[in-house]
Amino acid sequence: MKIAVLVAPAVHPVSGRPCAGEADLAALALAQRLSSQVDVWYAGAADDAALADYLARGADNIHSLSLSPGSDVLAALCSVLQGVDMVLCGARAGGGDGSGLLPYQLAEQLGRALLPDVLDLSKSDQQWQALQALPKGVRRTLAAKLPLVASVHARAASAVGWSYARLQQGKIQRKAATGAALPQVVLEPARRARALVAASKVSGHARMQGAIAGGEGKSAGIVVKQGDSVEKAQVVLDYLRQHQLVDF
Amino acid sequence: MSFSLAHALTGLFWLGALLLLGGLARRASLWQQGRSASVSWLGLLAMPKRYFVDIHHVVAREPAVARAHVAAAGGGVAILLLSALNYGLMLYQGWLDVLLVLMAALMLLGARMMQARRLQAPPRLSQGRWQVLPARLRLFALGSLLAAGLLFAGPQLGMAGQLIAVVALLMLALGGAELALGIGLGWPMKHAVAGLLHLAFHPRAERFAAKSSDLKPLNLAAGELGVAKVEDFAWNRLLSFDACVQCGKCEAACPAYAAGQPLNPKKLIQDMVAAQSRGTDPAYAGNPHPGREAAVMVQPGEDIVGSVLAAETLWSCTTCRACVENCPMLIEHVDTVVNLRRHVTLSRGEVPGKGSEALANLRNTDTVGGYPLAVRYHWAIDLDLPLLQPGEQTEWLLLAGEGAFDMRYQRALRALVKVLKAAGVKVAVLGAAERDCGDVARRLGDEAGFQRLAQANIATLAQYRFARIVTPDPHVFHCLANEYPALGGQFEVWHHSKLLEHLLARRAIPLKADATPLPPLTFHDPCYLGRYNDGYHAPRNVLKGIGIKVVEMPRSGRDARCCGWGGGAAFTDIPGQRRIPDMRMDDIRETGTGRVAVACPNCTAMLEGVVGERADVIELAELVAERLA
Ligand code: SF4
Ligand code: SF4
Repeated sequence: MKIAVLVAPAVHPVSGRPCAGEADLAALALAQRLSSQVDVWYAGAADDAALADYLARGADNIHSLSLSPGSDVLAALCSVLQGVDMVLCGARAGGGDGSGLLPYQLAEQLGRALLPDVLDLSKSDQQWQALQALPKGVRRTLAAKLPLVASVHARAASAVGWSYARLQQGKIQRKAATGAALPQVVLEPARRARALVAASKVSGHARMQGAIAGGEGKSAGIVVKQGDSVEKAQVVLDYLRQHQLVDF
Repeated sequence: MSFSLAHALTGLFWLGALLLLGGLARRASLWQQGRSASVSWLGLLAMPKRYFVDIHHVVAREPAVARAHVAAAGGGVAILLLSALNYGLMLYQGWLDVLLVLMAALMLLGARMMQARRLQAPPRLSQGRWQVLPARLRLFALGSLLAAGLLFAGPQLGMAGQLIAVVALLMLALGGAELALGIGLGWPMKHAVAGLLHLAFHPRAERFAAKSSDLKPLNLAAGELGVAKVEDFAWNRLLSFDACVQCGKCEAACPAYAAGQPLNPKKLIQDMVAAQSRGTDPAYAGNPHPGREAAVMVQPGEDIVGSVLAAETLWSCTTCRACVENCPMLIEHVDTVVNLRRHVTLSRGEVPGKGSEALANLRNTDTVGGYPLAVRYHWAIDLDLPLLQPGEQTEWLLLAGEGAFDMRYQRALRALVKVLKAAGVKVAVLGAAERDCGDVARRLGDEAGFQRLAQANIATLAQYRFARIVTPDPHVFHCLANEYPALGGQFEVWHHSKLLEHLLARRAIPLKADATPLPPLTFHDPCYLGRYNDGYHAPRNVLKGIGIKVVEMPRSGRDARCCGWGGGAAFTDIPGQRRIPDMRMDDIRETGTGRVAVACPNCTAMLEGVVGERADVIELAELVAERLA
């Protein structure tokens, strides 16, 4: 199976220096776990030094499509990704102006399914199953057939450590490419956010009292003052079980 | 009969000499697996001085053992030399026999003393063949005594005399086998031959001229990436492993071993011996790496880390140099640890725990903790500390180091600046232009990262004009003073303890006049100030200068126990039975002073990080600042 991984330099949040993006690194690690035929692609105007981190962290060879600054990378990437079974990229570029749109645009242009924000991919029957990361730790399983595009979540495992030897051996091959102009950005005035209205106007202290006092039968709170620590813990555990907040 | 006994001795002597030479040739072929190294043959001439002066410095710390060794080894060598003359060269002189008898008696005495010690051997000593060595040496000495005695007694031997002669020859053959075969078969007496050659061709020969504790730079451009296999060691490094006498002094001194982390420096050296001899030497009979099996699987051609040596063993080391300081054979453990780490870090990129994060921070932000460079001197915002501009001049340049990002240590830095100002010292800082010195990168094996930082710092410092650098961080001090010169950076660097000592001696610091005696405290020596730079006196003189009595811990000065931070060990954080700083806090508690003075940001952090009841941890500069008038 031929996999293409798309990478781009990230901006370090403290120093502003170019470095590898977490999501792109995770995509690289995932690709190397799945296949031995992995090609790494970059499109844009960054110089080789900005891509060095990817060499040091496992990419033997990066194909760099040199575009002039400010051009759209979509067309250039699509032209080299046609024959590839699986395209993996970070869900969004690390730092900078990344809109996170690229995976969607790629899937649309290449006419493939997109598995967004995946943590892991595994094969079952003829399909590829993805474990998708949703906010607040929620996980969901998606599936699609090859060829496909998957964007990898920044929290997916990136196992390969940074190695000076790999940095020295790695190569960046520049290829000339033509980028299209970025589509015109339409700026709209921001819509005013609706002000939040509190459900009740009582103070925080009063609400806390309401939650724990429970004397007037107003809330379900219990205050446990009797018993030793084990009995008290049992009450908490029962409560958590009752509300299915723990499952043991 | 006496004629034939003499001839038998001649035969025995030459047989032994041949076996020894053959064994040496075999061992030398093992050393030849290593890389070439630039060594001076003049080392052979320097050998006696190195033996009698440098080794003596270490051995004399245990006088009883030293005396036993002088008697056994001195007697033994004398016997060999006299036999070479009298029997090897067939002089057969009676007066030489008299000398032989005397020397044999001396050796007998020495071997006897060693045997007595072996009866209650401390657990750090290896057992196995080492345990029976004194008995073998006694046999040899006794055989010599009898044979020489018989020969001196005269040519006519009765029945009894002949019988004794046969017994003496047997003893000589049995005991002498230990001497003749040791080097070839990796038996204990290997140490005599390898040890002497090690002295002559020591991989760090400069240590015989002056203190030498710097790590040597790798030639990255030439593709040097540390030691992966036996062949990547220099040949004289392989030789140095063979000098080990398995005395376990390194083991007894090692903080990681005491903490139950999987590192025993003695075993580490023996693992290297096993790797180079491909497991043909007798099995190791000492304490293992804590929590590990003693037996190792030697797979020729395999990388050392992952076959004979577990990576955790390597990452447990705090590079505290306690082992090097105590080794009577002058073996340099830290060089080997770092050389092996370099391969794991540079080639494999496998740094455990928070180590890889620290290295990434250094690459991306030039600080270990990932801080913006611009905030390094925020603690000094109200202190009116001049920011040195390129081209401007100052007498002292203060490098605060990584401690400047730690809120606790900022108090110490403020105290230092206050004291320097009170003493009228002209001091300035670099502000955001100061990068990390590269200590953590280098000790974690990231030589490329170290060289990048060092070169950047050297280039930065070249733009400024200052007379001297002062820093409270012993790691910054050690790097700049001892490791930057190899990369072309020559600076005069002082640790702040030395500057404070100097100022106090000149009465430049205005101190409170009141004579209320201050409560005593104890002092914790930072490894990188003490063992790395012999900076034992300056901090103690500072404490004396401000009228504080120091109650020494039993492990202090040269024998001080590491706080557990060095060598990036606080980042790799290999689990053990205990934490090293907890053990050090026990040492401090035992002094009963309830307070400990420190002189390093990392010791401060490690000792303050001890949970539960603990002594107050106070920086040297803070103590001086308290006494300011
Ligand atoms: S390395 Fe040195 S201190 Fe350690 S056991 Fe060997 S000779 Fe003794
Ligand atoms: S340097 Fe310190 S921690 Fe490392 S092996 Fe030697 S004694 Fe142990």
